[in-house]
Amino acid sequence: MEVTSVVQLDQTKAKDECLNLSLRPLQVSDVDDFMVWASDEKVTRFCTWEPYTNKEDGLNYIKNKVVPHPWFRAICVDDRPVGAISVSANSGNDKCRGELGYVLASKYWGKGIVTRAVKMVVDTIFVEWPHLERLEALVDVENVGSQRVLEKAGFQREGVLRKYFILKGRSRDMVMFSLLSTDYQS
Amino acid sequence: MEVDLSKITLRPFKLEDADDFLLFAGDDQVTNYLRWQTLSSKQEALDHIKDVCIPHPWRRSICNDNCSIGFISIFPFSGEEDRFKANIGFGVAVKYWGHGIATKAVKMAVPQFFVDFPDVVRLEAFIDAQNLGSQRVVEKTGFQKEGMLRKYAYMKGKLRDMFIYSFLSTDLPANP
Repeated sequence: MEVTSVVQLDQTKAKDECLNLSLRPLQVSDVDDFMVWASDEKVTRFCTWEPYTNKEDGLNYIKNKVVPHPWFRAICVDDRPVGAISVSANSGNDKCRGELGYVLASKYWGKGIVTRAVKMVVDTIFVEWPHLERLEALVDVENVGSQRVLEKAGFQREGVLRKYFILKGRSRDMVMFSLLSTDYQS
Repeated sequence: MEVDLSKITLRPFKLEDADDFLLFAGDDQVTNYLRWQTLSSKQEALDHIKDVCIPHPWRRSICNDNCSIGFISIFPFSGEEDRFKANIGFGVAVKYWGHGIATKAVKMAVPQFFVDFPDVVRLEAFIDAQNLGSQRVVEKTGFQKEGMLRKYAYMKGKLRDMFIYSFLSTDLPANP
């Protein structure tokens, strides 16, 4: 009995690691897949926005926020979007800094997908944006899963910023993580 | 030089402060860790007082015997999402360094600012990793060091590591 279950566990792990993962732009035609994670309150728990309730809002978001975004990609399994990952840009004296954000449909949690997606972003963003010196991410102190993603992806935890953010009307402490282009090169 | 700390006060800037203002705002040593360009003429000082200091949401002259020797600036962020946060900066003329003046000024400014801006919950200071003097000022006034932000921003053309400190409205001593 024990031997069988160990073998089954190993097979599941191997299958997860073999998931065909890719990043590509999110398009208006992806709206139905988008709605799967965007309407899920488990997913939006640490997001500033409330779950989406209608497709029209989803279409508007993709048209008005995603398409013009400096760097936004759908996280795809077998070329179907199951989440999204993005890097924001700053200007002037803050141009050296970009902020990473990501979201994943809850059905796909626990398989290391976001960690792999973050590593894929890190592999390309410093090349695409040579002016970028620092990739940072801010994570709610209670969002342990997301903190683990960044640690596994090689980000450094810099500190806890107290009452840094207001999430759905409440002050939140946030953990600041960063990965420097020089961290990545070494 | 003796400084009587009881003579250190805060007040809004006036155009008449221009000469004194130029003494510190025209000094690279003072502006080294500020985003300001070092001023180079009385006209620039007058313009800066008129266009920046006076309309500023919360900027005060640090005065010694009512004579301006420095500044404290506290800037609430704009926008619905960020109004609860503000950023503090300060500077003192070099000849007055080493007497605890900035510490006294920040100690006076912080509680007053939270009274004037009751929506602000978090006051933060970004201090260059090499600016030990200013780090000591904020530590002595009760700011909490939260971490070092590596290669956080450009300052005068160089990429800088910065310590981030915060003082929350809840950090203020409770009123008796």
